[in-house]
Amino acid sequence: MKAVFIIFNQANTERVEYMLDRLDVRGYTWWNNVLGRGSVDGEPRMGTHTWPEINSAVMTIVPDEKVDVLLGKVQKLDEVNKEVGVRAFVWDVLKSV
Amino acid sequence: MSIYKSAVDKPVTTFMIFVAIMVMGAFSLINIPVDLYPEMEPPYVSVMTTYSGANAADIETNVTKVLEDALNSVDKLKEISSTSSDNISVISLEFEWDANLDEATNDIRDVIDRMLDNLPDGVDRPTIFKFNTSMFPILFYAITAEESYPGLEKLIDEKVINPLNRVDGVGSVAMVGTPQRMVYVDVDPKRLDAYDLTLEQIGSVISGENRNLPLGNLKMGKIDYQIRVQGEFSESERINNLVVASRDGKQVFVKDVATVRDTLKDVTLEERINGETGVRLFVMKQSGANTVKVARQIKDRLEELKVTLPPDVKIQEIFDSSTFIKGSISNLSSTLMYAMIFVVLVVLFFLGRWRATFIIVLTIPISLIVSFVYLYLTGSSLNVISLTSLSIAIGMVVDDAIVVLENITRHVERGSSPREAAIYATNEVWMSVIITTLVVVAVFFPLTLVSGMTGVLFNQLGWIVTITVVTSTLAAISLTPMLASRMLKLSQKKKPRRFSWENTIEKWLYKFDLMYENLLRRLLHYKSMVIISTFLVFFGSLFLMKYIGSDFMPESDESQIQANIELQTGLRVEETAKVTRQLEATIRDRYPEVELISSSSGADDEGGFISMFSTTGSNIINLTLRLSDIDERERTVWQIADDFRAQVALLPEVVSSTISTSTQGLGGSGNTVDYEIYGYNFDVTNLYAEQVLDRLKRMDGAQDVTISRKNDKPELQIVLDRNKLSEHGLTTAQVSMFIRNRINGLVPSYYKEEGEEYDIKIRLEEKYRNSISDIQEMTIVTPAGQKIKLKELGKIEEYWSPPSIEHKRRERLVTISASPDGISLGELANRIKTETAQLDTPPEIVVSVGGAYEDQQESFMDLAMLFGLSLILVFIVMASQFESLRMPLIIMFSIPFAFTGVILALVITGTTLSVVAALGAVLLVGIVVKNGIVLVDFINLMRDRGVELYEAIALSGRSRLRPVLMTAATTILGMLPLAMSTGEGAEIWRPMGITVIGGLIFSTLVTMVIVPVMYAVLASRGERRKKEKVRQQFVFMDK
Repeated sequence: MKAVFIIFNQANTERVEYMLDRLDVRGYTWWNNVLGRGSVDGEPRMGTHTWPEINSAVMTIVPDEKVDVLLGKVQKLDEVNKEVGVRAFVWDVLKSV
Repeated sequence: MSIYKSAVDKPVTTFMIFVAIMVMGAFSLINIPVDLYPEMEPPYVSVMTTYSGANAADIETNVTKVLEDALNSVDKLKEISSTSSDNISVISLEFEWDANLDEATNDIRDVIDRMLDNLPDGVDRPTIFKFNTSMFPILFYAITAEESYPGLEKLIDEKVINPLNRVDGVGSVAMVGTPQRMVYVDVDPKRLDAYDLTLEQIGSVISGENRNLPLGNLKMGKIDYQIRVQGEFSESERINNLVVASRDGKQVFVKDVATVRDTLKDVTLEERINGETGVRLFVMKQSGANTVKVARQIKDRLEELKVTLPPDVKIQEIFDSSTFIKGSISNLSSTLMYAMIFVVLVVLFFLGRWRATFIIVLTIPISLIVSFVYLYLTGSSLNVISLTSLSIAIGMVVDDAIVVLENITRHVERGSSPREAAIYATNEVWMSVIITTLVVVAVFFPLTLVSGMTGVLFNQLGWIVTITVVTSTLAAISLTPMLASRMLKLSQKKKPRRFSWENTIEKWLYKFDLMYENLLRRLLHYKSMVIISTFLVFFGSLFLMKYIGSDFMPESDESQIQANIELQTGLRVEETAKVTRQLEATIRDRYPEVELISSSSGADDEGGFISMFSTTGSNIINLTLRLSDIDERERTVWQIADDFRAQVALLPEVVSSTISTSTQGLGGSGNTVDYEIYGYNFDVTNLYAEQVLDRLKRMDGAQDVTISRKNDKPELQIVLDRNKLSEHGLTTAQVSMFIRNRINGLVPSYYKEEGEEYDIKIRLEEKYRNSISDIQEMTIVTPAGQKIKLKELGKIEEYWSPPSIEHKRRERLVTISASPDGISLGELANRIKTETAQLDTPPEIVVSVGGAYEDQQESFMDLAMLFGLSLILVFIVMASQFESLRMPLIIMFSIPFAFTGVILALVITGTTLSVVAALGAVLLVGIVVKNGIVLVDFINLMRDRGVELYEAIALSGRSRLRPVLMTAATTILGMLPLAMSTGEGAEIWRPMGITVIGGLIFSTLVTMVIVPVMYAVLASRGERRKKEKVRQQFVFMDK
């Protein structure tokens, strides 16, 4: 099992939801209005007058085989428009109850 | 849950809310009355007191002075003025505009009650009159008749006035100049003496015979009878055969000593319409009624009534205030429509997309219609002011929607779904949209606080613009995102066609953006040069100021001329009428444009209501000329009036004349400068006034110079010798009564016919009472029955006395008024001041300059205050938005240049600075500042994003050029129809259009240069210091 942490521009909300449904990912945790900035490029998402855009984040724990599919979809989503932005990070999940 | 998210999530609800607003607006629109100006109650109250038999000087000391002193203490009184003339005293009290007139009237009533004991015994109880603009007649008709003329009064009363009074919204209908029936008994004094009779005896016989008396009841058999004597005359002929006395067994009849004439009353007022005999009918509406609707109904009803009248009775319209109102309103409505079309075109030009344009333009009707709801709820009318306000607002209401939609479009183009783009894009900009709206509100809201006459006009403007702009903002953050989410499409990028928007306009706009960016980069290296040269332009424009004249309200061509012509004092009405005929001939000859001439010569001896509005007297001619419609004639009303003025001046009989072209103007005082001379002594003030009058008449630029104090009129005084009176056992009162009965006449009884009463008047036949010797020969009967001639009791002397005495602030006053001829009101006032400065003023005289000029000064003061208040509020809003005191300052640097633009526009178009134009200048503040905010806000943004100062300025300039040009263009083009309009009433609002357009074009150009440069100067140091501070706080990290 792996944890996939997806951070995306609010404008991508509907697509991310659709993607999770499409891949039969049932369980996730969702944060609205999260702030941050990218390590390389892109506009910071600070929700201020200067940087008005805001991100949302979703963390989902999926079986190992689904990780690559999920990352593939995220990649495609990002390619629609690089400026809008979506990122995914994967962790190992050691235990769960 | 935010408003825009709910709106996008519930499109149907949102849509329905706006449909509901539209429906309410439409409902209100149907029910709002239409009028020319907002209804106002000018704070004037008049107190009228009659004291029969007293001359002007008696009235002044015994009535006017007593009341004036007492009334002076009434609360919120601004000014007190009065006119004391023969028999009557009229005191006018002017209150502050915020005064409650009901309270004031009560106070006045209290004062009058208290003072009643101090007034002479013969004084009637003073009456209080309150004025209201709705009291002025809305329709004037001329009724002419030939055969039916003698019976016209009764005929019109029954067949026209009564039915018209029943029309909804009609306040009252009245007539002037009606022929009145009278039964005259003209007595021959010689025959009277021969039969040893007196005039009073005839009177008592007539009143004794002309009686119906009930005598009680009588029961006979089963019936109860009433007994009466029916002595009343069934026809006036009967008077002839009344027996006055018996002499030597022969009866003396009335016909033996007098002639009985059942005829029309002798003329003191002659009404002619196009030279034909006739009467004038005028209609007043109820307060709050719809002028246009009432006028229409009256006209329809009158058409039906005309059929019932005899064929020789003709009814013609002299004046219809609803024509001008309808003309102005439809004119303004089309202006509004053109403005809307222009705005649509501008939006389409800059955006290049139909759907986006539709979404933005939809906010226009919604915002405008809400103002109708406001008008309906406050009971106001749809008038020139409210429609002008809408014209001003129309260019501004789209601004917010544009900002919101632009951001949504940007998100959609980046690939977001329209629904999400609508929510998140609105989220990003809603705050700044609200702030820019607040700036506009900061300018317009103070308008609602102005008091005085300017206040009445501009409160509505303030409210309407505030309401419309706030509504447009609400629509921009709810309706616009909702529609965008539904209507915008995530379209695939197509290859644009050759003549598509992208390949034509967009290309040019892009080049323009680049040009501007390069210009900015270059200008930033010559900052001080730029600043110095722009300020030179500003100060240079101030020198042009002296070429701009000032006025109170712009005059408008109402297709009507009114003339008040005064001939020699004391002239009899027959002579006056001759001059009138001569004038009518001149008018018919020279001015084919005149469709109708209504003249009235002389005065109605009963005074009456109408004489409160215009001066009358046996030597005065009042003329009203109606011209054909504006587009049907070559000459303007002013050209014709000028020519007519010259013609009148050629007549040697004319002592003075006033020819005016405005009737519906505000304030009522007209466009005059009044030179007021205060002083008690008649001789001193008359002499001085004469000098001033002489100078003003010779002065360039002054016309219609009139003096308020009329020439002394001749008066015959019968000076009775008291010793002789007492020898004969007579008193002054008895003798006066005898003479009055013989000259003025005795009305012992009334002749009744068909429910109407007509006076029976006994007096000496005219030929026995038209010379001093006739009066001397009058026979007076002493209590002892002896007959003596009046000449034995005293002598008759000729005197001169002032016909009326005027007071202002409780002091005697002479006013010399002049209206401007080709120059502005302010200029005229200045010329008068310099002209009269050379005169040496006697020490007991105080002079001042007032009139419409005074109103103008007050209004400009009000506007200056308003301007100050707006500036402060705008500063407050901006300072809190930018959280900085420097940024608002940078933006406000563009305001002076708006005035440069205004000055240029006024000079180029030759418009005078009237209150309307000045208001336009005040409004500019908000619009100009808005452009600056857009620019500075974006530069700030770029700086915060870490872009270097000059780069940030240049980039922001390029990116914000289009939005600034777009908002400026919508406002400018929205006002263009206003500035270009011609036709009815256009003169009133054209100055506002001109000032706003001139100011905005110039200030937009300058804003785009001076604001970035000022930013570079003022912000660079500050930003560096801020960074330095932060670094110092965290200096420990580097240790």
